[in-house]
Amino acid sequence: MAEALRYDPLGPSGTWHRQRARLLVYGLLTLFALYYLLPLVVVILNSFRDLPDISRAGLIGLPSSFSLSYWPIAWSKFCVGGTCAGIAPFFFNSVAMAVPATIISTAIGAVNGYVLSKWRFPGSELLFGFMTLGVFMPGQMVLLPWAVVLGWLKLTNTTAGLVLIHCVQGLSFTTLFCRNYYVNIPDDLIKAARIDGAGFWRIFRKIVLPLSPPILIVTVIWQFTNIWNEFLFAVIFSSGTHQPITAALIALSAGGTSVHQYNVESAAVLIAAAPPLLIYLFGGRYFLRGLTQGALK
Amino acid sequence: MRMIGHIARAAGIAVLAVGLAGAALAEPKTNLLSQWDNGSDAAAIAKLGEMFNAAGGKWEATSIAGHTANTLAKLRADVVAGNPPPAVQLKGPEIAEWNATGMTLSLDEIAKQENWDTLVAPELLAVMKPKGAWVAVPMNIHRINWMWASKKALDKAGISDMPKTWADFNADAEKLKAAGIIPIAHGSADWTDATTFETVVYGMNLDLFRKAFVEGDVAAMRSPEMVAAFEQFRKMINWMDPGMAGRAWDAAANMMLTGQAGFYFMGDWSIGTFNAAGFKEGVDYLCSRAPADNGKPGFILNSDSVVFFQQKDPDYLAGSKLLAHLIMSTDFQTIFNQAKGSIPARLDVDLSKGFNPCQKQSQKDLAESIKAGTLVRSFAHNMTILQKYRGAAMEVITEFVNTPGMSAADAAKQMADAVEAQQ
Amino acid sequence: MIAAPAARRLSAILPQLVLAPSLVATFIYVFVFCGWTIFISLSDSSLLPDYSFAGFHHYAELWANRRWNIAYTNLFVFGTLYVVGATAIGLALAILIDQRIRAEALWRTIYLYPLAVSFVVTGTVWRWILSPATGIESIVHHLGWMGFRFDWIVQRDFAIYTVVITGIWQASGFVMALFLAGLRSVDQDLVKAAQIDGAGMARIYRKIILPGIGPIFIAVLVVLLQFAIKTFDLVYALTGGGPGVSTTVPAIYVYDLMFQRGQMAEGAAAAIMILAALSLVLVPYTVWVNWHRRHGEAHG
Repeated sequence: MAEALRYDPLGPSGTWHRQRARLLVYGLLTLFALYYLLPLVVVILNSFRDLPDISRAGLIGLPSSFSLSYWPIAWSKFCVGGTCAGIAPFFFNSVAMAVPATIISTAIGAVNGYVLSKWRFPGSELLFGFMTLGVFMPGQMVLLPWAVVLGWLKLTNTTAGLVLIHCVQGLSFTTLFCRNYYVNIPDDLIKAARIDGAGFWRIFRKIVLPLSPPILIVTVIWQFTNIWNEFLFAVIFSSGTHQPITAALIALSAGGTSVHQYNVESAAVLIAAAPPLLIYLFGGRYFLRGLTQGALK
Repeated sequence: MRMIGHIARAAGIAVLAVGLAGAALAEPKTNLLSQWDNGSDAAAIAKLGEMFNAAGGKWEATSIAGHTANTLAKLRADVVAGNPPPAVQLKGPEIAEWNATGMTLSLDEIAKQENWDTLVAPELLAVMKPKGAWVAVPMNIHRINWMWASKKALDKAGISDMPKTWADFNADAEKLKAAGIIPIAHGSADWTDATTFETVVYGMNLDLFRKAFVEGDVAAMRSPEMVAAFEQFRKMINWMDPGMAGRAWDAAANMMLTGQAGFYFMGDWSIGTFNAAGFKEGVDYLCSRAPADNGKPGFILNSDSVVFFQQKDPDYLAGSKLLAHLIMSTDFQTIFNQAKGSIPARLDVDLSKGFNPCQKQSQKDLAESIKAGTLVRSFAHNMTILQKYRGAAMEVITEFVNTPGMSAADAAKQMADAVEAQQ
Repeated sequence: MIAAPAARRLSAILPQLVLAPSLVATFIYVFVFCGWTIFISLSDSSLLPDYSFAGFHHYAELWANRRWNIAYTNLFVFGTLYVVGATAIGLALAILIDQRIRAEALWRTIYLYPLAVSFVVTGTVWRWILSPATGIESIVHHLGWMGFRFDWIVQRDFAIYTVVITGIWQASGFVMALFLAGLRSVDQDLVKAAQIDGAGMARIYRKIILPGIGPIFIAVLVVLLQFAIKTFDLVYALTGGGPGVSTTVPAIYVYDLMFQRGQMAEGAAAAIMILAALSLVLVPYTVWVNWHRRHGEAHG
């Protein structure tokens, strides 16, 4: 706090009034940061404490024991369901689901957004409005219809089935994001290219795509995080060794009639949450930039 | 090492059984859908997997943590998709409901070969064979009406014997309170509240329990006897601490184990928790049958079971037979129940080695209750009435626990109304 | 050369062709799935879907059900506080961060991370923190202030506010990002001009910046409202709908009936009610967006 003030470029030269305002700003930010960080800190601490310590001092007590051993147990020995191979296999299942689903839904969204912003036709605005409706469907409601569809397509309990679901459900988001971003690309650019004889795909490749990184980053972050964390479909439309990481994630919250290993479960939860967290950590800046550059408009 | 011996022996028998069933050519496969997601449950199920693989099968398990609704949603989704799972953890009336869809697999052939009818506790037969054919295999018998107590807390409050009747219990709870100890450890959730309440009802009035919770009779729910049960329950709620809402059941168990609280009402799966935390029966905690006013032996039974669905693939059919056989084997029933705190669903298993004294007590009480005609199935653990009635009644029970101003008469009336509305 | 006209015709409808698969998928996802659910709500489906018509009685039963009444009352209380709270805190954070602070990226990441972690996890941890026996209350008691009380989560009349606290915690970072994006896109020349005119920061925000990001307010409101209406994981992990059934929300009710209790038809009826609530939010928004667009085009 005090340090932040000392390095504040405005601080030393500013008036007392301004310094007080700075103090207020950092004070409030710190207060909010405590509120935001509390749960994360609790889980991180618990992942290093032994069980007697946790049961003595409580789940959010300060640690009096420290061990790194729970992380490797969570990764490769923790019993999830009928196998005790840790959460590693589930982790890779999630990767196998989230990565293709993110890429495909983003790619389709980009092309859709491109059509709906640069190749408008009568009724295209209406269709755009219609496509965004998908954003609002409650998950509990579409569960059984999806089961019917997956049954028809013979995709029950496959990773491909989950990828399909996430692509269709994500379409509305990705199309919305991309369309709203592409609207801001000047139409003149497109017109000029058409006069030069460039076709649909060529314009997309040569003009639209090179301008797209900010919005694609927003879309990828959004999709990846949602797909990775999605719990209902992930658990219900997968089976046995194909279950994604959410199966291990909910172990922590599970009531049930079994004994909790809070330390190992905390470590498991942190490993499971790591990919989206890292993406936010490193991609957060681009996320904001993408939003600023028009995802909102 | 003993475990491996068990497994190897079971495997040998299994290979033989599968051979006899004429399915030696198929490679038995299965995929067990269950809620046993983590901790001791998962470890126990993993053992079943080892036995299955050792018997030449190819084991897979799908476990879904949390709310039972998740497992049931998964089952529905798979059935709707035309791809029912080969084996599912289902219990109580759900077995009958799914049996009625005509999609379950009859196990009569293997049941006859292995004489299940004579081996399994009679109270379970109606559940496992809802229409006369075996469609489910019981894994265990849990006892619900256990009362646990902290030795330390009882000593401190000067209580020498576990209370036998509710009047005794109330007197002892007052003593604990006077000694500055929380009389009852509890974590409130619909199922834990219902667990304690059904124990109260059962201990006060066996007929009322049968009418209200086994037959779902609304008039019994509205009766003065039910009001009296709610009144006793209110007394007990007042002896619980305010932190109970949302507390996990194992955290509540810990309050009793550490002597922070005196009594604790919970089924025998808590033995698993007690053991895992290193607490000893007779030293740290005591177990006794929950109070009852009729002076007869008593047992509220809950049983986990596996239902098999018809499959087209002969490998899975062979797998279902093998799995059913393994679950019913003495070896599995021993291993599984030692870990879970329950007792085998087969009545002929010897508990003298490796079982906790409370478990032995459980087996003895079960036999006596069968003789005395007081054995009942658990309402709170979904062994009696349909989910929609059970859910409606449990809502009222948990509301009662969490609403200090709600009177016993209101609770009884609301419960009757809520169940009636579902009819 | 014979193929040329065909090829040209094809290239003329290429955009529509490219869009078509997505349209078909969305059509099935939105309309067919909704239709299916409406159909189920009018049947007597229990354990499994049953496709015979049984009338509207499940809707009547739904509205007579006490727990459903609790669920939608909760939705109103939670929805209002959640939307207002997350908007206010998100806006406050965005304005604070916009003060040319040091280590901006770090602060932003701190506020944004809750969005990256599943509610199943954070809800559970919040439960520990809010529970009087394990959380803040017990820590304050250990510190010596025995009279301290913070036990909302176990009070049936207050538990819904803990859902609000946790919901705001999760969403306000995202709201901050949206607002911050808006603040950064406000024309800086206007701000500078006002500063030269001697306007204070408060006045500049009130008169220039906030009106300039009006559309973002609307977007934030819509995003938050649909989060609120669909709330499921949060309540499930935080309170499990308790104490009692006091924090049940519509999505929990739907899931419980459709999957736990085998009352599929009544669950479907409740799902349709959620959809109706969503359209109460969406229809005005769509009208507004269209009006805004036409209005904007007329002037621009």
